[in-house]
Amino acid sequence: MQRKQLAPGVFLTELDAEKFNRCRIAIHLRYPARRESATDAAVLSMVLERGYAGCPDMTKLSRRLAALYGADLGVDLSSAGGDRVLSADICGIKQQFALAGEDLVADYADIVFGVLFDPYLVDGSFDPEAVRIEKESLRRRLQSEYNDKRLYCVRQARRRFYGDNPAGIELYGYLNEIDAVTPRTLRTEYDRILSQASIEVMVQGADAEPVARRLLDRLDAIRRTPAQITRLTPVPAAPVRHYTEEIPGLTQGKLCMLFTRDGAEDLPSIHVLRMAMGIFGGTATSRLFRNVREKQSLCYYCGSSALRAAGVMMVDSGVESANIDKAEAAILKELSDLCARPVDGEEMEQCRRTLLAGIDAVGDSLSGLASWYYGQIMRGEPLVDPEQGKAQMLAVTPQQVQEILQSYSYSVCYALTGRGEEADA
Amino acid sequence: MSTIREKAAAAVRCRRTVLDSGLTVLCRTMPGYSTVHAMYGTAFGSTTREFLLDGKRITLPAGTAHFLEHKMFESEEGDAFALYAKTGASANAFTSWDRTCYIFSATSRIDENLDILLNMVGKPWFTRETIAKEQGIIGQEIKMYDDSPDWRLMTGLFRCLYPTDPIRDDIAGTVESIAQLTPEMLYACTDAFYRPENMVLAVAGNIELEQAVEACRRAGLDKPAAPHTVELPEAAPEGPITRRELQFAMPVTRPCFALGYREQPIARGDIKREILCDMLPDLVCGGLTDLYRKLYDQALVNPEFSGDYVLTRSACSIAFTGESSCPREVAQMVRDEIARLRRDGVDPELFTLVKNQMYGELLAVLEGVEDAAGQLALAFLKGTTLEDQIAMLASLTPADANEALQTMMLPENEAYVEITPQQ
Repeated sequence: MQRKQLAPGVFLTELDAEKFNRCRIAIHLRYPARRESATDAAVLSMVLERGYAGCPDMTKLSRRLAALYGADLGVDLSSAGGDRVLSADICGIKQQFALAGEDLVADYADIVFGVLFDPYLVDGSFDPEAVRIEKESLRRRLQSEYNDKRLYCVRQARRRFYGDNPAGIELYGYLNEIDAVTPRTLRTEYDRILSQASIEVMVQGADAEPVARRLLDRLDAIRRTPAQITRLTPVPAAPVRHYTEEIPGLTQGKLCMLFTRDGAEDLPSIHVLRMAMGIFGGTATSRLFRNVREKQSLCYYCGSSALRAAGVMMVDSGVESANIDKAEAAILKELSDLCARPVDGEEMEQCRRTLLAGIDAVGDSLSGLASWYYGQIMRGEPLVDPEQGKAQMLAVTPQQVQEILQSYSYSVCYALTGRGEEADA
Repeated sequence: MSTIREKAAAAVRCRRTVLDSGLTVLCRTMPGYSTVHAMYGTAFGSTTREFLLDGKRITLPAGTAHFLEHKMFESEEGDAFALYAKTGASANAFTSWDRTCYIFSATSRIDENLDILLNMVGKPWFTRETIAKEQGIIGQEIKMYDDSPDWRLMTGLFRCLYPTDPIRDDIAGTVESIAQLTPEMLYACTDAFYRPENMVLAVAGNIELEQAVEACRRAGLDKPAAPHTVELPEAAPEGPITRRELQFAMPVTRPCFALGYREQPIARGDIKREILCDMLPDLVCGGLTDLYRKLYDQALVNPEFSGDYVLTRSACSIAFTGESSCPREVAQMVRDEIARLRRDGVDPELFTLVKNQMYGELLAVLEGVEDAAGQLALAFLKGTTLEDQIAMLASLTPADANEALQTMMLPENEAYVEITPQQ
């Protein structure tokens, strides 16, 4: 792994990919999330994926990728604490496998840089037709959330939990704000992103030098003031609020419980957090899986996860509507038991072995290794390789696991059932 | 063709052996990788509902194969998940219409993990009490799928297309059907279908064939198993499609639809026909087509709109599914495009691009340990190999697609399912 700074807020990381037949170039633009332009940012990522100045037509771009032996292009928007990350990545077969000797890497770079830095503009703004189409697509996507009841339950719980906290800004924007998105507002958001973003380029299996030159060329004309990582304040602790929403025709009830880490001074170590989640509800040997699912047969799925920067822990579960109260109590009992006393050595080691195996495996895929390093960059940590990461995981103690679980307080419970009305209980 | 196959074999680099027990072991060694992924699979899925075991007729309720999959993780000594936890492996299993597979991924203690895998599947243990406990968990799984519009579309479509074939029943069955299960039924299934000659062990990653074979020896899989005769009844010819349309309501925001076609069953090992089933939906309305572009730009479909195929021993179908405010309009546009392609032939340039894309996907599969082991096992259970699939794909021409279009996706073999938003 080699990482170097090319300019203020601009870094390039080169990773080994010798054993793979494919190569990958990924560009990540990390910038502060903003409530008022959240919907613009969502539409923007979709418009960018349609094409760029050198290939504005969506179908022609798809065909160009297919001609490059089925190269994959993705443009994604994701959350990173109080920031957003607009990413474009392309993955395709390595240069030496080109059948006609064509310069594949140059083509990959053209496309991935094109979609982020050379968009197709009409009179200085985004193409009105592309914006119209993608606004409609976003509208359908947001409306579709309701079709997936597990996802819907989690999002409804999040909305109640976060309220106006910046951590709760919707990644895909707001349905009632789509109409206000215009080619001009997209251009404003795009310019803000280019100006404020810290830029990370990850190159795997391709010559990094031409990529670096290309990046600096693109940034040359842009006035930039890269922003620092946005720090979030956890949602304040408060008495638990219960919400129940009836959905006629729902067969299986859904339950989402959210906990806040209000009052904790420092962000926890990612390794401690992963161990805590693994033991509580993140693996097939976790307390929730073994006791709530297997022993009590209360649900088919019941798992826990945590967002480190936002200070939130979540448990979601699919349960019989009539058993929701029982499942909630069973989940809280498991948490309470873990908070009351440190887990024993064997339980700790079982979880640790699973997580260590996961670290061992990161080098077995292009995206796994890139995520390993980019995750650390996003957390603002000194970069360590997987072996060093394993050493850090080995150092986690039962007391640390107990302490971190004790630091969460129960905040919101959202349930979907086939009965009752949505109301504060 | 032979040169292409040789090149494909060089890319796949799969070593194989058949043990005296009849078990096939496949291995793709991947230098430089840390992980080993193993898949132990049997050609027994939800659509096997009747068979003769040593001359005795066994009839199974819907959901048996899937239920059996869950129960295989339990033995008299305890839970296989607990054993895997001691080694750090992650394990899982899945059941489809025509197979059940047990998997693990691990980066260390590979011998122990192989022992756990082969023993948990090789030494079934069922009691009335443990069956009753599993009925609760699986009941919740069934209900979860009942809330999935995508799943309900597919099961609804099979109900229309197949008046009798077992594909019309949900893979997991129903709460009522799995309530009929007994230990005796489950033991009959393992005796019949979990025999070595009906199974495959595929491994990929940081492992050699010899290590996998040695594990099989430790599990006693190198010797012929207890003799049983198993006969599967010939699939009765499917009657005419009696229900062309099905409509029902669910809590969704806009209509969801499936347009499906019942095709002739594909003979085991007929790779060409299967690849064409995979390719034709992409030629009709895949992301590279003008039709997809038109549907997307006119806000008639979401990006998830697509066509796919399902293949079992006795059934084959192609289905286009999506979500749309104007589902009937979209279905008609798909029908019109199929008719146009049948009349005018496929665009040769588009055909080549779709073929390139599929070729790239097949090669990409070989880079991941999970995909590699999974696809090796899957190909074996279908009576073929990955190298044969790659070679066949390379040899396909637009004429093959045009010929297939004359007999596939015909209007008389069609059904339409629509989910309407619940009031």
